[in-house]
Amino acid sequence: MVDLRKTGHRRYFVKPGHGWSIWMMIPTVAVLVIVIGYPVVRTFLLSRLKYNFISSAPARVVGAENYLHLANDPIFWQALLNTAVYTLGSVAIAMIIGAALSLLTEGFIGRLRVVKALMLTPWAVPFIVVAFLFRYMFEERSGIVNELLLRAGLIHEHIPWLNSAMRAMPSVMLANIWTQTPFFFLIFAAAVAGIPQEVVESARMDRAKGWTMIWHIKAPFMRGAALVGGLLMVISNFNDFAKIWAMTEGGPGYATTTLVVYVYRMAFTSYDFGYSATIGVVWLVFLVVFASVYIRAMQGAPR
Amino acid sequence: MKVRKTTAGSGITAKLLVLAGIMAMLCGATVFASGSGEQGTVAAAATVSFANWADAEQATRPGIQATISKFEAANPNITVKSEAISFSDIGHTLVLRVKSGNPPDVAEIAGNDTFDVAATGGLEPLESYVTPDLKSSINPADLEVAKYQGQLIAFPWTDSPNALWYNKDIMKKAGLDPNKPPATVDELMTDLAAIHSSQPDVIPLGLDTTNRTFGLAVNWPWMVTFGAKPFSGTTATADTAGMKAYLSWMRELAQKGYILTGKKIGEFRPLAAQGKVAFIWDQNVLQGVIQSVNHMTDSQFYATWGVAPQPKGPAGTSNVVALGHQLIMFKNSSVKQAGWELIKYLATSPDAIVDYTFKYESSLPPLAHATGEVAKLLSTPVNKAFVDQILPTMIIPPYGSTYAQAYSPIMAGVQQAITGNTPIDQIAASIQSNLSSALGG
Repeated sequence: MVDLRKTGHRRYFVKPGHGWSIWMMIPTVAVLVIVIGYPVVRTFLLSRLKYNFISSAPARVVGAENYLHLANDPIFWQALLNTAVYTLGSVAIAMIIGAALSLLTEGFIGRLRVVKALMLTPWAVPFIVVAFLFRYMFEERSGIVNELLLRAGLIHEHIPWLNSAMRAMPSVMLANIWTQTPFFFLIFAAAVAGIPQEVVESARMDRAKGWTMIWHIKAPFMRGAALVGGLLMVISNFNDFAKIWAMTEGGPGYATTTLVVYVYRMAFTSYDFGYSATIGVVWLVFLVVFASVYIRAMQGAPR
Repeated sequence: MKVRKTTAGSGITAKLLVLAGIMAMLCGATVFASGSGEQGTVAAAATVSFANWADAEQATRPGIQATISKFEAANPNITVKSEAISFSDIGHTLVLRVKSGNPPDVAEIAGNDTFDVAATGGLEPLESYVTPDLKSSINPADLEVAKYQGQLIAFPWTDSPNALWYNKDIMKKAGLDPNKPPATVDELMTDLAAIHSSQPDVIPLGLDTTNRTFGLAVNWPWMVTFGAKPFSGTTATADTAGMKAYLSWMRELAQKGYILTGKKIGEFRPLAAQGKVAFIWDQNVLQGVIQSVNHMTDSQFYATWGVAPQPKGPAGTSNVVALGHQLIMFKNSSVKQAGWELIKYLATSPDAIVDYTFKYESSLPPLAHATGEVAKLLSTPVNKAFVDQILPTMIIPPYGSTYAQAYSPIMAGVQQAITGNTPIDQIAASIQSNLSSALGG
């Protein structure tokens, strides 16, 4: 048996007298290898194959051919752009609204705390329910959005919100922002509540108020929450399938086709597993790079 | 000691022999019960798993459950275990189940899904099960569309092609002759204009424009009547005058407010039942949906609705595509004979045809000749129109694995044409490029 105390690893992972603890990690590592490591490696291997899932023809190795195809695939680039717009747009707007709401409701105490609780309800609604709710609200003929706008005289004919190349993406993003804002509200409210009272009091004594108080005193305390919440939501939105599929199925045309929708179509309606795995690998690389940069930024942020 | 050993040894040997005998009997019984895939009777109890969407849909669930019960009563040694899977999911669910070695015994299927599942190699060829008498009783076109690489891999269950349904009341209100449905695309456009101007709240034409394999099948006849055939084999042929004419027509329909874009055909049906759709390009199942929603009697329905072949476009042809439901059996099934009995019963028994195919599916049986109650039901105005005028125009889209790769670039282009302002030439070129990439990639 290897004596871990005699290896270099001891200096990094194991405190003196706790050599046995490294063995305790083995089950966790094994699970991670099975549920994360194997699929990642398998996806990468698949991406090097010409492999149609339903074809009786055997899969054959084509090396980088799928990657070259992807580089010249205009739908992939449009899907990547749509993913960036959907993800960054939704996260940025939800974050701003969530921050604003947390500051506005900062003084809500006693019975007014019910308002804060109500603001969290969209977060509790399942995503698929949100998607169908907004789909029905944006219905061209019978949706409440057109009905209200028509009655208010703001529009003069029914607008095809989800069936317009121009309006489909903003409409889907609106549903997404509605459901995500409470998350940011929650984490910002916690950050604001954690600001030491003496810091606020001393700022007041220095006659700081309004925008100055928010920007120079409170915002620095909210930055850490913004970074953590932002990273989580970027990853979540990058992988968001249910809302987009239920509302538009990636259409009209490719107007709301994101990478996850494109992968789904390639894998489960065209059965092109090799190419869909290629998209998956590139998608993973994008996420890993983004997360690394983001975590570095987070580590450099003031606490 | 030696004697004891011998005795003990004999005891063990005897027990092993008895055990082996029991195992042999069990194995024999299992093999006998499962059958060998050849024709014969089901001698022992068998349970057939039957994946279908009929049991997943509210409108057809009572019908299929009652039909299965009748089948079980007629075949007391067979139990059917129905597995409800939605229409949208059944194709890829079956593909995945075949690939994972866990398919059902029998399944309901339609359109290109049949060929996707067939391409896995997991389907049992059915020629050896179909007797000459049975074969001669089935419509040859239905058998033809159920073939994959020359083998019969599915058995026709229902015929339900698209056709042009027209609401006579709406036509009358628009000043049109309710007994003269449009015979050409030009006449259709004239009628749509009259309806749109006289009844702005009515949807002039219900047409499925979704990006799915079914969406392409529904639109295929319209493409063909404009002279378009966006792909052939693995070659993209979308950047053509015919395709541009079709795309331009679709854009005109959308821009003039004659169609609602991005809708599944199922979303138009309840509206049609409320008298809010003038024309609808739909299958014969529409009758059942309308009557189940608004409780019209048959005579009221025939007084309100008529059905006609597709109006002819510039190519001068009227077409419908094969969209009927089929039944498939899987090679892995251990109860093939029982599965085949179920297939035969559902597709050809007068009980199932009268009580399910007509009553719940509002579809036509795949029979070449009909007698008795079935013949009587085929003589209703709608069924007669389907049999005499519409079914003879049936064409088969290029179903297969290529179709599965081609549908999305084509339908995405159609959606771009009807929801945006990108020049049609540019959209046709884009479809051509994306299609070439999909077919060759």
